[in-house]
Amino acid sequence: MSKTEPSSGPLISARGLSKTFESLVAVDGIDFDVQRGEVFGFLGPNGAGKTSTMRMIGCTSPRTGGSLQVMGMDPATESAEIKARLGVVPQTDNLDIELTVRENLEMYARYFDVPKDIAKQRVDELIDFVQLGDKAVGKVEPLSGGMKRRLTIARALVNQPDLLLLDEPTTGLDPQARHLVWDRLYRLKQRGVTLVVTTHYMDEAEQLCDRLVVMDKAKIVAEGSPRELISRYSTREVLELRLSDEVRERSRHFLDGLAERVEWLPDRVLLYAGSGETVLTKITDSGIHPDSALVRRATLEDVFLTLTGRSLVE
Amino acid sequence: MSSPTNIVTRNLLVFWRGWRSSFFLSVLGPVMFLSAMGLGLGSLVQEGRTFDGADYLQFFATGILAASAMQSGVFSATYPIMGRIVWQKTYEALLATPLSVRDIFIGEMMSIAVSLSLLVVPFFGVMAAFGIFDSPRAVLAVPIVILMGLACAAPVFAYTATLESDEAYTWLWRLVVTPLFLLSGTFFPIEELPAWGRAFAHATPLFHGVELVRQVTLYDVEASAVWHIAYLVALLAVGVVIGIRKLDARLLP
Repeated sequence: MSKTEPSSGPLISARGLSKTFESLVAVDGIDFDVQRGEVFGFLGPNGAGKTSTMRMIGCTSPRTGGSLQVMGMDPATESAEIKARLGVVPQTDNLDIELTVRENLEMYARYFDVPKDIAKQRVDELIDFVQLGDKAVGKVEPLSGGMKRRLTIARALVNQPDLLLLDEPTTGLDPQARHLVWDRLYRLKQRGVTLVVTTHYMDEAEQLCDRLVVMDKAKIVAEGSPRELISRYSTREVLELRLSDEVRERSRHFLDGLAERVEWLPDRVLLYAGSGETVLTKITDSGIHPDSALVRRATLEDVFLTLTGRSLVE
Repeated sequence: MSSPTNIVTRNLLVFWRGWRSSFFLSVLGPVMFLSAMGLGLGSLVQEGRTFDGADYLQFFATGILAASAMQSGVFSATYPIMGRIVWQKTYEALLATPLSVRDIFIGEMMSIAVSLSLLVVPFFGVMAAFGIFDSPRAVLAVPIVILMGLACAAPVFAYTATLESDEAYTWLWRLVVTPLFLLSGTFFPIEELPAWGRAFAHATPLFHGVELVRQVTLYDVEASAVWHIAYLVALLAVGVVIGIRKLDARLLP
Protein backbone atom coordinates (compact mmCIF):
# COMPACT_ATOMS: atom_id res chain seq x y z
CA MET A 1 0.00 0.00 0.00
CA SER A 2 0.91 3.64 0.03
CA LYS A 3 4.17 4.65 1.57
CA THR A 4 4.28 7.29 4.23
CA GLU A 5 6.64 10.13 3.59
CA PRO A 6 8.86 11.48 6.36
CA SER A 7 6.60 13.71 8.44
CA SER A 8 9.02 16.60 8.20
CA GLY A 9 10.07 17.83 4.76
CA PRO A 10 7.88 19.44 2.12
CA LEU A 11 4.62 17.85 0.92
CA ILE A 12 5.43 18.74 -2.66
CA SER A 13 8.91 19.28 -4.00
CA ALA A 14 9.78 20.22 -7.58
CA ARG A 15 13.23 20.73 -9.08
CA GLY A 16 13.77 21.80 -12.66
CA LEU A 17 10.18 20.70 -13.37
CA SER A 18 9.23 21.19 -16.99
CA LYS A 19 6.46 20.39 -19.43
CA THR A 20 6.64 20.70 -23.19
CA PHE A 21 3.84 20.18 -25.70
CA GLU A 22 5.41 19.65 -29.13
CA SER A 23 6.81 23.15 -29.79
CA LEU A 24 5.24 24.89 -26.78
CA VAL A 25 7.11 25.14 -23.49
CA ALA A 26 4.34 25.29 -20.87
CA VAL A 27 6.53 24.97 -17.78
CA ASP A 28 10.20 25.79 -18.03
CA GLY A 29 12.31 24.27 -15.27
CA ILE A 30 10.65 25.56 -12.10
CA ASP A 31 11.68 24.85 -8.48
CA PHE A 32 9.29 25.08 -5.53
CA ASP A 33 8.41 23.42 -2.24
CA VAL A 34 4.98 23.30 -0.62
CA GLN A 35 5.06 22.81 3.14
CA ARG A 36 2.59 20.73 5.10
CA GLY A 37 -0.44 22.73 6.29
CA GLU A 38 0.13 25.87 4.27
CA VAL A 39 -1.93 27.48 1.54
CA PHE A 40 0.34 27.81 -1.44
CA GLY A 41 -0.59 29.86 -4.49
CA PHE A 42 0.37 29.91 -8.13
CA LEU A 43 -0.29 33.38 -9.44
CA GLY A 44 0.06 34.40 -13.03
CA PRO A 45 -1.62 35.51 -16.23
CA ASN A 46 -3.38 33.05 -18.53
CA GLY A 47 -0.93 30.73 -20.22
CA ALA A 48 1.78 31.21 -17.61
CA GLY A 49 1.92 27.47 -16.85
CA LYS A 50 -0.15 27.30 -13.66
CA THR A 51 -2.62 24.68 -14.82
CA SER A 52 0.09 22.53 -16.42
CA THR A 53 1.93 22.54 -13.12
CA MET A 54 -1.23 21.59 -11.24
CA ARG A 55 -1.89 18.74 -13.65
CA MET A 56 1.60 17.36 -13.16
CA ILE A 57 1.09 17.43 -9.38
CA GLY A 58 -2.32 15.77 -9.82
CA CYS A 59 -0.80 12.92 -11.86
CA THR A 60 -2.87 13.74 -14.96
CA SER A 61 -0.04 15.02 -17.11
CA PRO A 62 3.36 13.30 -17.23
CA ARG A 63 6.26 15.70 -16.73
CA THR A 64 8.74 16.23 -19.55
CA GLY A 65 11.77 16.91 -17.35
CA GLY A 66 13.07 17.56 -13.85
CA SER A 67 11.97 15.90 -10.65
CA LEU A 68 8.67 16.01 -8.78
CA GLN A 69 7.79 14.46 -5.44
CA VAL A 70 4.24 14.57 -4.10
CA MET A 71 3.88 13.32 -0.52
CA GLY A 72 7.22 11.62 -0.98
CA MET A 73 6.11 9.73 -4.07
CA ASP A 74 6.75 10.06 -7.78
CA PRO A 75 3.68 10.82 -9.95
CA ALA A 76 5.25 8.90 -12.83
CA THR A 77 5.24 5.58 -10.98
CA GLU A 78 2.92 5.91 -7.98
CA SER A 79 -0.02 7.87 -9.35
CA ALA A 80 -2.77 5.72 -7.80
CA GLU A 81 -1.17 5.98 -4.33
CA ILE A 82 -0.79 9.75 -4.66
CA LYS A 83 -4.28 10.26 -6.03
CA ALA A 84 -5.77 8.27 -3.15
CA ARG A 85 -4.67 11.07 -0.81
CA LEU A 86 -5.36 14.00 -3.11
CA GLY A 87 -8.43 16.15 -3.73
CA VAL A 88 -8.76 18.00 -7.03
CA VAL A 89 -11.01 20.94 -7.87
CA PRO A 90 -10.53 21.49 -11.61
CA GLN A 91 -10.86 24.79 -13.44
CA THR A 92 -14.14 23.81 -15.10
CA ASP A 93 -16.64 21.73 -13.17
CA ASN A 94 -16.82 18.15 -14.40
CA LEU A 95 -19.66 16.88 -12.26
CA ASP A 96 -21.60 13.83 -13.37
CA ILE A 97 -24.75 15.40 -14.83
CA GLU A 98 -26.55 12.06 -15.04
CA LEU A 99 -26.43 11.69 -11.26
CA THR A 100 -27.99 13.66 -8.44
CA VAL A 101 -26.00 15.91 -6.09
CA ARG A 102 -25.85 13.19 -3.46
CA GLU A 103 -25.01 10.44 -5.95
CA ASN A 104 -22.14 12.51 -7.29
CA LEU A 105 -20.55 12.34 -3.86
CA GLU A 106 -21.48 8.71 -3.20
CA MET A 107 -20.11 7.47 -6.52
CA TYR A 108 -16.93 9.45 -6.02
CA ALA A 109 -16.50 7.90 -2.59
CA ARG A 110 -16.85 4.53 -4.26
CA TYR A 111 -14.06 5.33 -6.73
CA PHE A 112 -11.89 6.00 -3.69
CA ASP A 113 -12.98 2.71 -2.13
CA VAL A 114 -14.43 4.41 0.92
CA PRO A 115 -16.46 1.72 2.76
CA LYS A 116 -20.18 2.24 2.26
CA ASP A 117 -21.27 3.08 5.82
CA ILE A 118 -18.39 5.52 6.27
CA ALA A 119 -19.13 7.05 2.87
CA LYS A 120 -22.76 7.66 3.78
CA GLN A 121 -21.87 9.54 6.93
CA ARG A 122 -19.12 11.50 5.21
CA VAL A 123 -21.42 12.49 2.34
CA ASP A 124 -23.95 13.80 4.88
CA GLU A 125 -21.26 15.89 6.53
CA LEU A 126 -19.95 17.23 3.23
CA ILE A 127 -23.40 18.21 1.95
CA ASP A 128 -23.77 20.10 5.20
CA PHE A 129 -20.30 21.61 4.96
CA VAL A 130 -20.98 23.12 1.52
CA GLN A 131 -24.59 24.05 2.40
CA LEU A 132 -26.33 22.01 -0.27
CA GLY A 133 -28.72 20.17 2.05
CA ASP A 134 -31.89 21.26 0.25
CA LYS A 135 -30.43 20.39 -3.15
CA ALA A 136 -29.07 16.94 -2.33
CA VAL A 137 -31.74 14.85 -4.05
CA GLY A 138 -31.90 16.97 -7.20
CA LYS A 139 -29.88 16.79 -10.39
CA VAL A 140 -26.70 18.80 -10.89
CA GLU A 141 -27.65 20.76 -13.99
CA PRO A 142 -30.07 23.28 -12.42
CA LEU A 143 -27.55 24.34 -9.76
CA SER A 144 -26.03 27.82 -9.94
CA GLY A 145 -22.34 28.28 -10.69
CA GLY A 146 -21.55 28.81 -7.03
CA MET A 147 -23.43 25.69 -5.95
CA LYS A 148 -21.71 23.56 -8.59
CA ARG A 149 -18.39 24.89 -7.37
CA ARG A 150 -19.23 23.99 -3.79
CA LEU A 151 -20.33 20.54 -4.87
CA THR A 152 -17.06 20.09 -6.75
CA ILE A 153 -15.19 21.09 -3.59
CA ALA A 154 -17.25 18.64 -1.52
CA ARG A 155 -16.52 15.93 -4.05
CA ALA A 156 -12.80 16.61 -3.76
CA LEU A 157 -13.07 15.97 -0.02
CA VAL A 158 -14.76 12.54 0.02
CA ASN A 159 -11.42 10.78 0.48
CA GLN A 160 -10.37 13.18 3.27
CA PRO A 161 -7.32 14.29 1.30
CA ASP A 162 -4.09 15.51 2.86
CA LEU A 163 -3.60 17.81 -0.09
CA LEU A 164 -6.23 19.76 -2.02
CA LEU A 165 -5.48 21.18 -5.47
CA LEU A 166 -7.74 24.03 -6.58
CA ASP A 167 -7.43 25.45 -10.07
CA GLU A 168 -9.03 28.91 -10.11
CA PRO A 169 -11.59 28.00 -7.45
CA THR A 170 -13.70 31.15 -7.68
CA THR A 171 -13.44 32.19 -11.31
CA GLY A 172 -16.87 33.16 -12.59
CA LEU A 173 -18.56 33.32 -9.17
CA ASP A 174 -20.43 36.29 -7.75
CA PRO A 175 -19.02 37.99 -4.62
CA GLN A 176 -21.30 36.15 -2.17
CA ALA A 177 -20.39 32.80 -3.65
CA ARG A 178 -16.68 33.66 -3.63
CA HIS A 179 -16.73 34.60 0.03
CA LEU A 180 -18.52 31.38 0.92
CA VAL A 181 -15.90 29.36 -0.97
CA TRP A 182 -13.06 31.27 0.70
CA ASP A 183 -14.62 30.67 4.09
CA ARG A 184 -14.83 26.92 3.47
CA LEU A 185 -11.25 26.78 2.21
CA TYR A 186 -10.10 28.66 5.28
CA ARG A 187 -11.83 26.09 7.51
CA LEU A 188 -10.07 23.29 5.68
CA LYS A 189 -6.76 24.99 6.27
CA GLN A 190 -7.56 25.19 9.96
CA ARG A 191 -8.15 21.44 9.95
CA GLY A 192 -4.62 20.98 8.64
CA VAL A 193 -5.35 20.31 4.97
CA THR A 194 -2.62 21.62 2.68
CA LEU A 195 -4.08 23.71 -0.14
CA VAL A 196 -2.50 24.53 -3.47
CA VAL A 197 -4.41 27.21 -5.36
CA THR A 198 -3.99 28.83 -8.75
CA THR A 199 -5.61 32.17 -9.33
CA HIS A 200 -5.35 35.37 -11.26
CA TYR A 201 -7.38 37.22 -8.67
CA MET A 202 -5.07 39.21 -6.46
CA ASP A 203 -7.58 39.62 -3.66
CA GLU A 204 -8.04 35.86 -3.61
CA ALA A 205 -4.31 35.31 -3.34
CA GLU A 206 -4.02 37.87 -0.54
CA GLN A 207 -7.00 36.40 1.29
CA LEU A 208 -5.97 32.79 1.09
CA CYS A 209 -2.28 32.26 0.50
CA ASP A 210 0.40 31.94 3.13
CA ARG A 211 2.98 31.81 0.41
CA LEU A 212 2.87 32.09 -3.32
CA VAL A 213 4.90 32.11 -6.48
CA VAL A 214 4.27 34.39 -9.42
CA MET A 215 4.57 32.62 -12.76
CA ASP A 216 5.08 34.34 -16.07
CA LYS A 217 5.94 32.79 -19.44
CA ALA A 218 6.43 29.29 -17.98
CA LYS A 219 8.84 30.43 -15.25
CA ILE A 220 8.63 31.44 -11.61
CA VAL A 221 9.49 35.13 -11.38
CA ALA A 222 8.95 35.76 -7.65
CA GLU A 223 8.25 33.87 -4.45
CA GLY A 224 7.18 34.81 -0.93
CA SER A 225 4.24 35.68 1.32
CA PRO A 226 1.84 38.33 -0.01
CA ARG A 227 3.30 40.86 2.48
CA GLU A 228 6.88 40.03 1.52
CA LEU A 229 6.15 40.33 -2.15
CA ILE A 230 4.48 43.70 -1.69
CA SER A 231 7.33 45.09 0.35
CA ARG A 232 9.91 43.67 -2.06
CA TYR A 233 8.31 44.70 -5.33
CA SER A 234 6.22 47.68 -4.34
CA THR A 235 6.05 50.51 -1.82
CA ARG A 236 3.72 50.56 1.14
CA GLU A 237 1.26 52.91 -0.52
CA VAL A 238 0.19 54.05 -3.95
CA LEU A 239 -1.14 57.47 -4.86
CA GLU A 240 -3.42 57.42 -7.89
CA LEU A 241 -3.96 60.73 -9.68
CA ARG A 242 -6.20 61.73 -12.52
CA LEU A 243 -4.97 64.84 -14.29
CA SER A 244 -6.28 66.97 -17.12
CA ASP A 245 -4.13 66.78 -20.26
CA GLU A 246 -2.77 70.24 -19.75
CA VAL A 247 -1.74 69.60 -16.12
CA ARG A 248 -0.36 66.22 -17.09
CA GLU A 249 2.09 67.74 -19.59
CA ARG A 250 3.13 70.60 -17.35
CA SER A 251 3.79 68.51 -14.22
CA ARG A 252 5.36 65.44 -15.76
CA HIS A 253 8.95 66.24 -14.83
CA PHE A 254 8.04 67.37 -11.33
CA LEU A 255 5.98 64.28 -10.52
CA ASP A 256 8.65 61.90 -11.80
CA GLY A 257 10.97 63.13 -9.09
CA LEU A 258 8.46 62.82 -6.24
CA ALA A 259 8.11 59.08 -5.66
CA GLU A 260 10.21 55.93 -5.70
CA ARG A 261 8.52 54.90 -8.92
CA VAL A 262 6.00 56.67 -11.11
CA GLU A 263 3.89 54.90 -13.68
CA TRP A 264 2.11 56.89 -16.42
CA LEU A 265 -0.98 55.10 -17.58
CA PRO A 266 -3.29 56.51 -20.26
CA ASP A 267 -5.95 57.47 -17.72
CA ARG A 268 -4.04 57.72 -14.44
CA VAL A 269 -0.65 58.37 -12.87
CA LEU A 270 0.49 55.97 -10.16
CA LEU A 271 3.03 57.19 -7.62
CA TYR A 272 4.56 54.44 -5.47
CA ALA A 273 5.60 55.86 -2.11
CA GLY A 274 5.95 54.98 1.58
CA SER A 275 3.36 57.61 2.41
CA GLY A 276 0.88 58.67 -0.24
CA GLU A 277 -0.44 61.55 1.85
CA THR A 278 3.00 63.16 2.10
CA VAL A 279 3.44 63.03 -1.66
CA LEU A 280 -0.05 64.40 -2.23
CA THR A 281 0.62 67.32 0.10
CA LYS A 282 3.79 68.16 -1.83
CA ILE A 283 1.83 68.10 -5.08
CA THR A 284 -0.98 70.36 -3.92
CA ASP A 285 1.53 72.69 -2.21
CA SER A 286 3.26 73.17 -5.55
CA GLY A 287 0.01 74.38 -7.08
CA ILE A 288 -0.89 71.26 -9.09
CA HIS A 289 -4.55 70.38 -8.72
CA PRO A 290 -5.42 66.85 -9.84
CA ASP A 291 -8.97 66.07 -11.00
CA SER A 292 -8.98 63.33 -8.40
CA ALA A 293 -6.51 61.79 -5.99
CA LEU A 294 -6.64 58.48 -4.11
CA VAL A 295 -4.19 57.11 -1.57
CA ARG A 296 -4.39 53.34 -1.11
CA ARG A 297 -2.34 50.55 0.29
CA ALA A 298 -0.20 48.72 -2.25
CA THR A 299 -1.69 45.34 -3.18
CA LEU A 300 -0.52 42.16 -4.83
CA GLU A 301 -2.03 43.49 -8.00
CA ASP A 302 0.66 46.17 -8.08
CA VAL A 303 3.29 43.48 -7.62
CA PHE A 304 1.71 41.32 -10.25
CA LEU A 305 1.56 44.06 -12.84
CA THR A 306 5.10 45.14 -12.04
CA LEU A 307 6.37 41.60 -12.54
CA THR A 308 4.28 40.43 -15.48
CA GLY A 309 3.70 43.71 -17.30
CA ARG A 310 0.56 45.53 -18.30
CA SER A 311 0.23 44.34 -21.84
CA LEU A 312 -2.65 42.02 -22.53
CA VAL A 313 -1.85 38.32 -22.56
CA GLU A 314 -3.78 36.48 -25.24
CA MET B 1 -7.10 0.23 -5.11
CA SER B 2 -10.19 1.26 -7.00
CA SER B 3 -11.41 -1.08 -9.67
CA PRO B 4 -13.14 -0.87 -13.08
CA THR B 5 -16.28 -2.47 -11.65
CA ASN B 6 -17.04 0.85 -9.94
CA ILE B 7 -17.51 2.33 -13.41
CA VAL B 8 -19.96 -0.47 -14.23
CA THR B 9 -21.85 0.33 -11.02
CA ARG B 10 -22.11 3.97 -12.03
CA ASN B 11 -23.33 3.13 -15.53
CA LEU B 12 -25.85 0.62 -14.20
CA LEU B 13 -27.18 3.18 -11.75
CA VAL B 14 -27.93 5.52 -14.64
CA PHE B 15 -29.15 2.71 -16.88
CA TRP B 16 -31.50 1.41 -14.21
CA ARG B 17 -33.52 4.64 -14.24
CA GLY B 18 -34.66 3.96 -17.78
CA TRP B 19 -34.80 0.18 -17.60
CA ARG B 20 -38.55 -0.10 -18.24
CA SER B 21 -38.46 1.72 -21.53
CA SER B 22 -35.23 0.12 -22.68
CA PHE B 23 -36.44 -3.35 -21.75
CA PHE B 24 -39.67 -2.71 -23.63
CA LEU B 25 -37.67 -1.61 -26.68
CA SER B 26 -35.36 -4.62 -26.53
CA VAL B 27 -38.39 -6.88 -26.75
CA LEU B 28 -40.42 -4.79 -29.17
CA GLY B 29 -37.52 -4.45 -31.64
CA PRO B 30 -37.04 -8.17 -32.27
CA VAL B 31 -40.81 -8.83 -32.35
CA MET B 32 -41.21 -6.25 -35.12
CA PHE B 33 -38.18 -7.43 -37.03
CA LEU B 34 -39.12 -11.08 -36.88
CA SER B 35 -42.76 -10.47 -37.82
CA ALA B 36 -42.22 -7.95 -40.58
CA MET B 37 -39.00 -9.17 -42.11
CA GLY B 38 -38.81 -12.82 -41.14
CA LEU B 39 -42.41 -13.74 -41.72
CA GLY B 40 -43.48 -10.98 -44.14
CA LEU B 41 -40.41 -10.85 -46.34
CA GLY B 42 -39.89 -14.59 -45.84
CA SER B 43 -43.23 -15.26 -47.53
CA LEU B 44 -41.71 -13.89 -50.75
CA VAL B 45 -38.94 -16.46 -50.62
CA GLN B 46 -39.46 -19.13 -53.23
CA GLU B 47 -41.57 -22.08 -52.07
CA GLY B 48 -39.37 -24.95 -50.92
CA ARG B 49 -36.20 -22.80 -50.82
CA THR B 50 -34.20 -23.64 -47.70
CA PHE B 51 -30.98 -22.25 -46.32
CA ASP B 52 -29.00 -25.42 -45.70
CA GLY B 53 -32.13 -26.90 -44.21
CA ALA B 54 -33.29 -23.81 -42.29
CA ASP B 55 -36.28 -21.70 -43.31
CA TYR B 56 -35.95 -17.98 -44.00
CA LEU B 57 -37.26 -16.90 -40.60
CA GLN B 58 -34.59 -18.97 -38.87
CA PHE B 59 -31.90 -17.77 -41.26
CA PHE B 60 -32.88 -14.11 -40.94
CA ALA B 61 -33.48 -14.15 -37.17
CA THR B 62 -30.03 -15.50 -36.39
CA GLY B 63 -28.46 -12.92 -38.69
CA ILE B 64 -30.37 -10.00 -37.24
CA LEU B 65 -29.52 -11.07 -33.68
CA ALA B 66 -25.82 -10.72 -34.46
CA ALA B 67 -26.34 -7.53 -36.48
CA SER B 68 -28.22 -5.88 -33.61
CA ALA B 69 -25.40 -6.71 -31.23
CA MET B 70 -22.92 -5.16 -33.66
CA GLN B 71 -24.95 -1.95 -33.93
CA SER B 72 -25.40 -1.75 -30.20
CA GLY B 73 -21.69 -2.39 -29.53
CA VAL B 74 -20.60 0.23 -32.06
CA PHE B 75 -23.12 2.79 -30.85
CA SER B 76 -22.06 2.35 -27.20
CA ALA B 77 -18.50 3.23 -28.20
CA THR B 78 -19.46 6.42 -30.06
CA TYR B 79 -21.68 9.20 -28.64
CA PRO B 80 -21.80 8.06 -25.00
CA ILE B 81 -18.00 7.73 -24.82
CA MET B 82 -17.43 10.98 -26.69
CA GLY B 83 -19.74 12.68 -24.22
CA ARG B 84 -17.60 11.51 -21.33
CA ILE B 85 -14.34 12.51 -23.01
CA VAL B 86 -15.26 15.78 -24.70
CA TRP B 87 -18.59 17.20 -23.55
CA GLN B 88 -18.97 16.32 -19.89
CA LYS B 89 -15.31 15.58 -19.13
CA THR B 90 -16.38 12.69 -16.91
CA TYR B 91 -13.08 10.91 -17.37
CA GLU B 92 -11.16 13.94 -16.20
CA ALA B 93 -13.07 13.61 -12.94
CA LEU B 94 -12.45 9.85 -12.78
CA LEU B 95 -8.72 10.34 -13.29
CA ALA B 96 -8.57 12.50 -10.18
CA THR B 97 -9.43 9.33 -8.24
CA PRO B 98 -7.15 6.27 -7.99
CA LEU B 99 -8.68 4.98 -11.25
CA SER B 100 -6.28 4.76 -14.20
CA VAL B 101 -6.94 5.15 -17.92
CA ARG B 102 -6.79 1.37 -18.20
CA ASP B 103 -9.42 0.99 -15.46
CA ILE B 104 -11.67 3.43 -17.30
CA PHE B 105 -11.34 1.61 -20.61
CA ILE B 106 -11.89 -1.81 -19.08
CA GLY B 107 -14.77 -0.52 -16.95
CA GLU B 108 -16.51 0.94 -20.00
CA MET B 109 -16.01 -2.28 -21.97
CA MET B 110 -17.50 -4.24 -19.08
CA SER B 111 -20.45 -1.85 -19.08
CA ILE B 112 -20.89 -2.39 -22.81
CA ALA B 113 -20.89 -6.15 -22.18
CA VAL B 114 -23.67 -5.67 -19.62
CA SER B 115 -25.77 -3.51 -21.93
CA LEU B 116 -25.20 -6.00 -24.78
CA SER B 117 -26.51 -8.81 -22.63
CA LEU B 118 -29.55 -6.72 -21.72
CA LEU B 119 -30.23 -6.44 -25.44
CA VAL B 120 -29.29 -9.96 -26.50
CA VAL B 121 -31.03 -11.99 -23.80
CA PRO B 122 -34.55 -10.58 -24.46
CA PHE B 123 -33.88 -10.87 -28.20
CA PHE B 124 -32.96 -14.50 -27.73
CA GLY B 125 -36.10 -15.03 -25.66
CA VAL B 126 -38.29 -13.59 -28.42
CA MET B 127 -36.58 -15.85 -30.96
CA ALA B 128 -37.24 -18.86 -28.76
CA ALA B 129 -40.89 -17.78 -28.52
CA PHE B 130 -41.02 -17.68 -32.33
CA GLY B 131 -39.89 -21.31 -32.25
CA ILE B 132 -36.63 -20.68 -34.03
CA PHE B 133 -34.42 -23.06 -32.07
CA ASP B 134 -34.52 -26.85 -31.95
CA SER B 135 -31.69 -27.55 -29.56
CA PRO B 136 -30.67 -26.14 -26.14
CA ARG B 137 -27.20 -25.70 -27.65
CA ALA B 138 -28.65 -22.55 -29.23
CA VAL B 139 -28.10 -20.73 -25.95
CA LEU B 140 -24.40 -20.51 -26.90
CA ALA B 141 -25.48 -17.81 -29.33
CA VAL B 142 -25.78 -15.40 -26.39
CA PRO B 143 -22.10 -15.35 -25.35
CA ILE B 144 -21.06 -15.45 -29.01
CA VAL B 145 -22.90 -12.29 -29.99
CA ILE B 146 -21.76 -10.51 -26.82
CA LEU B 147 -18.17 -11.35 -27.74
CA MET B 148 -18.81 -10.09 -31.26
CA GLY B 149 -20.46 -6.89 -29.99
CA LEU B 150 -17.42 -6.20 -27.82
CA ALA B 151 -15.05 -6.96 -30.70
CA CYS B 152 -16.92 -4.32 -32.75
CA ALA B 153 -16.97 -1.83 -29.86
CA ALA B 154 -13.27 -1.90 -28.93
CA PRO B 155 -11.79 -0.51 -32.18
CA VAL B 156 -14.55 2.10 -32.36
CA PHE B 157 -13.76 3.13 -28.78
CA ALA B 158 -10.11 3.54 -29.86
CA TYR B 159 -11.27 5.68 -32.78
CA THR B 160 -13.52 7.81 -30.53
CA ALA B 161 -10.51 8.52 -28.30
CA THR B 162 -8.87 10.32 -31.25
CA LEU B 163 -11.88 12.45 -32.26
CA GLU B 164 -12.62 16.08 -31.39
CA SER B 165 -16.26 16.04 -32.52
CA ASP B 166 -19.01 13.66 -33.55
CA GLU B 167 -19.00 14.58 -37.26
CA ALA B 168 -17.04 11.51 -38.23
CA TYR B 169 -19.74 9.18 -36.89
CA THR B 170 -22.05 9.92 -39.81
CA TRP B 171 -19.36 8.47 -42.07
CA LEU B 172 -18.61 5.61 -39.73
CA TRP B 173 -22.24 4.65 -39.91
CA ARG B 174 -22.62 5.05 -43.67
CA LEU B 175 -19.30 3.61 -44.75
CA VAL B 176 -18.75 0.89 -42.16
CA VAL B 177 -21.76 -0.11 -40.11
CA THR B 178 -24.42 -0.10 -42.84
CA PRO B 179 -22.36 -2.06 -45.43
CA LEU B 180 -21.49 -4.59 -42.72
CA PHE B 181 -25.13 -4.81 -41.75
CA LEU B 182 -26.21 -5.47 -45.32
CA LEU B 183 -23.38 -7.58 -46.70
CA SER B 184 -22.25 -9.90 -43.90
CA GLY B 185 -24.75 -12.64 -44.59
CA THR B 186 -27.47 -11.18 -42.41
CA PHE B 187 -30.29 -11.06 -44.96
CA PHE B 188 -29.04 -13.52 -47.56
CA PRO B 189 -26.19 -16.06 -47.86
CA ILE B 190 -22.93 -14.46 -48.92
CA GLU B 191 -22.64 -17.09 -51.67
CA GLU B 192 -25.09 -14.87 -53.56
CA LEU B 193 -22.47 -12.10 -53.63
CA PRO B 194 -19.80 -11.64 -56.33
CA ALA B 195 -16.24 -12.70 -55.39
CA TRP B 196 -15.25 -9.25 -54.08
CA GLY B 197 -18.35 -9.16 -51.93
CA ARG B 198 -17.53 -12.51 -50.40
CA ALA B 199 -13.99 -11.36 -49.69
CA PHE B 200 -15.39 -8.25 -48.01
CA ALA B 201 -17.77 -10.32 -45.91
CA HIS B 202 -14.99 -12.60 -44.72
CA ALA B 203 -13.07 -9.57 -43.43
CA THR B 204 -15.95 -8.33 -41.25
CA PRO B 205 -16.55 -9.29 -37.63
CA LEU B 206 -20.28 -9.50 -38.25
CA PHE B 207 -19.83 -12.30 -40.80
CA HIS B 208 -17.85 -14.35 -38.28
CA GLY B 209 -20.44 -13.68 -35.59
CA VAL B 210 -23.32 -14.64 -37.90
CA GLU B 211 -21.57 -17.85 -38.99
CA LEU B 212 -20.93 -18.87 -35.40
CA VAL B 213 -24.48 -18.14 -34.33
CA ARG B 214 -25.90 -20.20 -37.19
CA GLN B 215 -23.56 -23.08 -36.47
CA VAL B 216 -24.66 -23.34 -32.85
CA THR B 217 -28.36 -22.65 -33.46
CA LEU B 218 -29.28 -24.09 -36.87
CA TYR B 219 -26.50 -26.26 -38.26
CA ASP B 220 -23.63 -28.40 -37.03
CA VAL B 221 -20.62 -26.88 -35.32
CA GLU B 222 -17.72 -27.15 -37.74
CA ALA B 223 -13.95 -26.81 -37.46
CA SER B 224 -14.25 -23.32 -38.95
CA ALA B 225 -15.80 -22.23 -35.62
CA VAL B 226 -12.30 -22.07 -34.16
CA TRP B 227 -11.23 -19.63 -36.83
CA HIS B 228 -14.34 -17.48 -36.35
CA ILE B 229 -13.77 -17.29 -32.60
CA ALA B 230 -10.06 -16.59 -33.08
CA TYR B 231 -10.91 -13.69 -35.40
CA LEU B 232 -13.31 -12.12 -32.88
CA VAL B 233 -10.96 -12.59 -29.92
CA ALA B 234 -8.06 -11.12 -31.89
CA LEU B 235 -10.11 -8.09 -32.98
CA LEU B 236 -11.21 -7.52 -29.39
CA ALA B 237 -7.64 -7.85 -28.08
CA VAL B 238 -6.18 -5.48 -30.68
CA GLY B 239 -9.01 -3.01 -30.08
CA VAL B 240 -8.43 -3.01 -26.33
CA VAL B 241 -4.65 -2.59 -26.58
CA ILE B 242 -4.86 0.25 -29.11
CA GLY B 243 -7.87 1.73 -27.35
CA ILE B 244 -6.07 2.03 -24.01
CA ARG B 245 -3.08 3.58 -25.75
CA LYS B 246 -5.20 6.14 -27.61
CA LEU B 247 -7.26 7.00 -24.54
CA ASP B 248 -4.07 7.42 -22.52
CA ALA B 249 -2.66 9.84 -25.09
CA ARG B 250 -5.95 11.72 -25.07
CA LEU B 251 -6.58 11.99 -21.35
CA LEU B 252 -3.02 12.32 -20.02
CA PRO B 253 -1.39 14.84 -22.36
